[in-house]
Amino acid sequence: MIVTDGTDTLHSSTEQSKKRQKKPTYGEVLRVEHIGKWYGDLHVLKDISLTVQTGEVVAIIGASGSGKSTLLRCLNFLEKSQKGEVYLQGRRIKHHEKQLNKLRQELGMVFQHFNLFPHMTVIQNVMEGPVQVKDMSKAKAKKLAARILEDVGLSDKTDVYPAMLSGGQKQRVAIARALAMDPKVMLFDEPTSALDPELVGEVLAVMEKLAKAGMTMLVVTHEMWFAREVADRVIFMDEGVILEEGDPETIFTAPKEERTLEFLKQVLPPQ
Amino acid sequence: MEHILPWDLTVIPSRFFLFSGAAWYTVQITVLGVLLGMILGLIAAFGRLSSHRGLSGAARFYIFTIRGTPLLVQLFIIYYGLTSIVTIAPIPSAVIALGIHNGAYIGEVFRGAIQSIDYGQMEAARSLGMTHRKAMRRIVLPQAFKRAVPSLGNQLIIALKDSSLASAIAVPELMLKGRQMGSSSFMYMEMFIIVGIWYLMMTSVLSYAVHRVETRLKVSDRD
Ligand SMILES: Nc1ncnc2c1ncn2[C@@H]1O[C@H](COP(=O)(O)OP(=O)(O)O)[C@@H](O)[C@H]1O
Ligand SMILES: [Mg+2]
Repeated sequence: MIVTDGTDTLHSSTEQSKKRQKKPTYGEVLRVEHIGKWYGDLHVLKDISLTVQTGEVVAIIGASGSGKSTLLRCLNFLEKSQKGEVYLQGRRIKHHEKQLNKLRQELGMVFQHFNLFPHMTVIQNVMEGPVQVKDMSKAKAKKLAARILEDVGLSDKTDVYPAMLSGGQKQRVAIARALAMDPKVMLFDEPTSALDPELVGEVLAVMEKLAKAGMTMLVVTHEMWFAREVADRVIFMDEGVILEEGDPETIFTAPKEERTLEFLKQVLPPQ
Repeated sequence: MEHILPWDLTVIPSRFFLFSGAAWYTVQITVLGVLLGMILGLIAAFGRLSSHRGLSGAARFYIFTIRGTPLLVQLFIIYYGLTSIVTIAPIPSAVIALGIHNGAYIGEVFRGAIQSIDYGQMEAARSLGMTHRKAMRRIVLPQAFKRAVPSLGNQLIIALKDSSLASAIAVPELMLKGRQMGSSSFMYMEMFIIVGIWYLMMTSVLSYAVHRVETRLKVSDRD
């Protein structure tokens, strides 16, 4: 992973201010406008608009059932919203198979339950996208996959099947699989929620490394530490709307909305 | 011996291999029939899973009629019933009937196997940018086939035994051979015991083979 951001140019000595520095951004990469999504009569997403800048790390927090997963899934059209538009680098995505497949190549997705391909070895999982979707040669894909697996700390597991891995290792393979497509944005849907507590750290560490390397990330998470320390912006979702958003410090220390405060009280350990 | 039993079982070893040619016919119509059945089964499975109403309706109808009628009726329709349009020789008739018959069962096996694959697999594949078709071929079907192996093996064994019905349209397979040998020697019991042993040998070999394939496929799986 090549570190591309210039976080350190405005150097400041204290820990506190260091992590609060804004990353330089290079314009919008992903934007959604007025997304409306219903499951039958259930109004799950209510007029959601959101713009993500290149290099930005956005954490999406909120109670279970507030529509976080659905929002992510509408971004890459695993779910089709009834209303609204998605723009990638300013270009509107048409609901057309070919365009959707192109869009999905640009949006890497990491699922709560990993969804690794169990009939393929670790390295085959990572090679599958480049070879099958980008027509990359096997030799080239193998090199690429080996390099990414090294980045996520799994060089020694390339030839085993997913069934042999721990949850944390599986999720790191899933991240590697998504990265192999060289996406513009990475979407994470509660990547650590299915993990035993002692395995959460290794996955978050990989994600943090990725964030530091300048990857644009949209992360649905219950790991408040990650939202607070790694994200550039935090979005609080409640009952299908973005109730509040802002920089992590503000959201965590001085939320404007009562509901945000309530939620944070529930998920954060008492001070 | 003759005084105890009304049959002369001692003839069994000496007559046993007179049936090998007929057994070979049994193997051939079974294998060809099941291969045809796999092709039809795959089509039927995709038909049933299709969102296209006509396709899923047609697949449903095929499975409903074939599973609801005896193989013998299907065999006679193809061999006798179609004679006003085409005449199909006994062996091809048997293969076609076995294929169509098994296709309906195998179709349901495939459909169940495909549906049993976690939808997250399809989603993960699609999220990489794969087309639905490619995701099916690369990700879902290989796992579904694996999961279908035990049922397919079972169906193969059923098909082998069902192929005996081909004797009714004069295919020179094991069952017909048994009837012919029985009537010419008046040793029906002895001859049908031989026929039974042949079937038992073949089904045993098949069960063993299926078991081996299953254990070999288990290497990567279990998630
Ligand atoms: N496939 C579906 N069919 C019907 N309702 C769904 C489906 N997926 C999600 N929902 C409902 O939509 C709401 C939002 O779900 P989700 O986006 O998964 O929330 P979150 O990820 O924030 O927990 C919930 O009420 C959930 O029950
Ligand atoms: Mg969710």
